[in-house]
Amino acid sequence: MKKLLPVLLALVLIFSACELLPDSGAKPQAASDASIWAMDTVMDLRLYGDADGSVMAELTALLNELDRELSAVSEDSALTALNESGRTDNARIRLLAAEAQRVSGFTGGALDITLLPVSRAWGFSTGSYRVPDTAELEALRGLVGMDKLTLTDEGVSLSDGAMLDLGALAKGYAAELCRERMEQAGVAGRLSLGGNIQTVGTKPDGSDWLIGVQDPEDENRYLLTLRLSGAKALVTSGDYQRYFMQDGLRYCHILDPETLAPVRGTLRAVTVVTDSGLYADALSTALFVLGREAGEVLWRERGDFEAIWAEADGTVWVTAGLADKVAEGEFEVVGP
Amino acid sequence: MKTRTWILLLAAVFLVLAGIVAWQYLGAKPAQTAEVWADGKLLRTIELSQDGDYRVETGLGWNELRVRDGKLAVTAASCPDGDCLRCGPRNADPPIVCLPNRLSIRFSEAGTLDGVVK
Repeated sequence: MKKLLPVLLALVLIFSACELLPDSGAKPQAASDASIWAMDTVMDLRLYGDADGSVMAELTALLNELDRELSAVSEDSALTALNESGRTDNARIRLLAAEAQRVSGFTGGALDITLLPVSRAWGFSTGSYRVPDTAELEALRGLVGMDKLTLTDEGVSLSDGAMLDLGALAKGYAAELCRERMEQAGVAGRLSLGGNIQTVGTKPDGSDWLIGVQDPEDENRYLLTLRLSGAKALVTSGDYQRYFMQDGLRYCHILDPETLAPVRGTLRAVTVVTDSGLYADALSTALFVLGREAGEVLWRERGDFEAIWAEADGTVWVTAGLADKVAEGEFEVVGP
Repeated sequence: MKTRTWILLLAAVFLVLAGIVAWQYLGAKPAQTAEVWADGKLLRTIELSQDGDYRVETGLGWNELRVRDGKLAVTAASCPDGDCLRCGPRNADPPIVCLPNRLSIRFSEAGTLDGVVK
């Protein structure tokens, strides 16, 4: 018996270790992928542990449902109905409008979701790009402003013919709902919703999520790569995704609520990293409008997000809470 | 039980475990491929180890793809903006996307990024 003991011990060790290793059959942890079209963009979903595909099917249905509800271009969406009637009792639109009001409030109005008429004048919502003159923009000023948005008990009401565009929040909100569903189901994964990244859970091999931050100058390169664990939302707002060029000037799709013109400054892009997809989405737009220095002040005041700023001169600034997550790339640290 | 026997047994255990790990992580490494998706449907998977030319139709338009030296590029497309043509030959994410044709081309390779925020 004494001689058998080490043999038995060795066998127990081997089988225990095999349990810890990734299962070669790997059905519970195999990756499943889907690439769908929703919210006017491509959405790539990679799930781990969705053996029967039921969670993927639920997420696909959810994204299509949100698309139908929150699209500003679809004729039969709940948002279009609000823009036509000035009222809605849609709970999701109310939630997004409330978040926009909150972020607009502490960013000095840098986020404004009533700029749809102005965005149309610039051609960003139609693809027929043009530079409207000052008189045309000033004539639109009476239609815009967050003060035209009122949260009611049941929903949202708009005054003076104002219209909402939820493009600055909808994908982030979608990522958040998907994350909640995945966590309920015990499924890990990475969602890329038109460039917004949401990580959920832990990869099957236990390693961190490795996420690249795109270089605004070159779509084939990254400014940085980040190692992140658990559920994180990453959203970039920049001047390089949707824009047009005229007379040598770049006009990006993010509009400054003060000037009603595309944001123009030294900032090429800002990426927000935080726990909430909705917050990350709303905040990245506001931070791009504010510029880096005001954004740094906000970061110090709030302490509830991390950020990366990419300046036109090539300098990359990373907040101190994120600096130790950088796997590769050169950057300056924004200290507290 | 002699100490020597214990050492031999533990060494054997270590060797078996090392073999299992090597099999899991090296043997299971997938060949590099590109997946061509259109509007939520996987149209085809392309092996990047073989040179080839492909044409894909999405219902909204067409794109011509070329694989050379292990990398894939879009060489012609019916889309008006041509963003997909400027993506350059790639063998790793970020995906090549043609928004007008609702086409995305994703790359799978062990050890690459999990995603790209943009």
